[in-house]
Amino acid sequence: MTEVDIKLPRKNFDVIINESFSDGITGIFGPSGSGKTSLLHSISGLATPESGRITIGGRVVFDAQKKINIPVNKRNIGYVFQEGRLFPHMTVEKNLLYGLKKTAHKKVSFKEVVELLNLGHLLKSKPAQISGGERQRTALGRSLLSSPDILLLDEPFSAVDMSLRNQILPFIIKIQQKVQVPILVVSHDLPDILKLTSTLFVIKGGACLGHGEYYDLLKVKGISDIFGAGTIVNSIDMTVLNTNPQSGLTMLGWRGHKESEVLISCEKSKSNYKEGQKIKIFINADDIALSTEKSNTISIQNQVYGTISEIISKGATLLCIIDAGFKLVVEITAESQRRMGIYKGSTIWCLFKSVAIDVAG
Amino acid sequence: MTELFSFNDAELQAIFLSVKVAVYCSLISLPLALWVGYKMARYNFYGKSVIESIIHLPLVMPPVTTGYLLLLLLGSKSLIGQWLMDSFGIKLSFSFQAAVIASVFVSFPLIVRSVRTAMEMVDTGLEEASRMLGAGKIKTFFKITVPLALPGIISGTILAFARSLGEFGATITFAGNIEGETQTLPLAIYAYMQVPGKEDPTLRLVIVSIVISFVAMTLSEWYIKKIKNDRG
Repeated sequence: MTEVDIKLPRKNFDVIINESFSDGITGIFGPSGSGKTSLLHSISGLATPESGRITIGGRVVFDAQKKINIPVNKRNIGYVFQEGRLFPHMTVEKNLLYGLKKTAHKKVSFKEVVELLNLGHLLKSKPAQISGGERQRTALGRSLLSSPDILLLDEPFSAVDMSLRNQILPFIIKIQQKVQVPILVVSHDLPDILKLTSTLFVIKGGACLGHGEYYDLLKVKGISDIFGAGTIVNSIDMTVLNTNPQSGLTMLGWRGHKESEVLISCEKSKSNYKEGQKIKIFINADDIALSTEKSNTISIQNQVYGTISEIISKGATLLCIIDAGFKLVVEITAESQRRMGIYKGSTIWCLFKSVAIDVAG
Repeated sequence: MTELFSFNDAELQAIFLSVKVAVYCSLISLPLALWVGYKMARYNFYGKSVIESIIHLPLVMPPVTTGYLLLLLLGSKSLIGQWLMDSFGIKLSFSFQAAVIASVFVSFPLIVRSVRTAMEMVDTGLEEASRMLGAGKIKTFFKITVPLALPGIISGTILAFARSLGEFGATITFAGNIEGETQTLPLAIYAYMQVPGKEDPTLRLVIVSIVISFVAMTLSEWYIKKIKNDRG
């Protein structure tokens, strides 16, 4: 648990935050200049709050009243910067070993990190000779090897182009599972965060707008507008039920719910899934259609049954939150809602094509 | 031709002494310049511009004035000079040490300027990253800042070395022109020029001083290029 209760004056506003962050992955989301990086800087010691207290896993690293302010190098924090900040004069191997604790209890070994992040073939290269994605992976590994109590990722994907992002995201999930280190990840790109976690902390103008599960936050006034600057994305954890190499389709299930089964096209992932494997899938809210009855006369194979638990207006459109076992957000127009006569509590079929589904990894 | 390159003892002494003074000067200036350059590059403090001006003064003043000021400050009649004589029996002025001190003062602005600029070019974000990985300020300085500023540090040191080799005015004023003790190459060349018929030794020493400077510059250029290439 990381507890932050701070006041940090900034040029245009004060960052005032009083929150506890869980030990899993938390996404820090907000528009540019909202205080996301200030929060990470305060936790890491790069910025000193005017007042307040910060504890990481029970250890006080800052307490204005008691005049405790542990210096940056003694806070035991892993910080991955936007640009990676690898040391250009050192090889990847030297970079990785730079912060390696010799005496302290190691959370993860050098060998494990190299394996986990697939860095073996890069060890002798200099940072200038490797790709942006490889650099970010090295930066991640370097932080991990310093056995941090918490990992702070500051826009770790923005320096990496779109296609490479999907290569880094699974590594972060693997790290969390393997090393059990709490991770705070800052991003202004919602789909990127959702690929990692559904626990979000939303910040604007230095203040917390909401902190909790993505689907619950959608209901909070003001937040759906911040989320909805782009497309709203659904992120669902599924289990592989069976694969069919001939049709190229993989059947996914959600905790045994028969009517929540989803078919995905294998070409999307280019990898062979094993039965029982857990994967994360993503569907854009505007890629899903609603129907009051199941249809056998159209080509769409994914038809998931659920109940509308909430209807939220978002500008000109409506967001329907549907409980199908897992939560699903569907974006429709107000006109469609009127025409179909659907309201909170209505039962509904959600239709989406298997090719509309994106898979992490 | 071979006659042109047969050195006598006094000439060899002058060459050897010059290199020795320049090496001492570089070795003394370097750690000082690393410290001063780092402070100047990274910190703002009260009186910074005054200190900057004082450091750079020998660059713009006639070297003879620098030598004269050194004489006033450290000469045997000065407070410090008298104290050194009374307490330790050390006489600074008109000695080998004086030649080194004169060189250090004159070349210091050059090396500080180089080191400072090089350190200003080092991304402070990398120093931050180092600290975040648990490194203290000293480890960060020697493992990140200095290696990354190395090309500038080397060229600064070579500049100081070369400036020391060519130093004339401050040396002759503060250290004198004592054969075998303070008579460096430029002083020897000047002394020979005053004597009719000494054209050959004069030319010899001129060529030697050009060769030393040229070799030092070329080596440093080569090494800096190598560092940059290694970094990719």
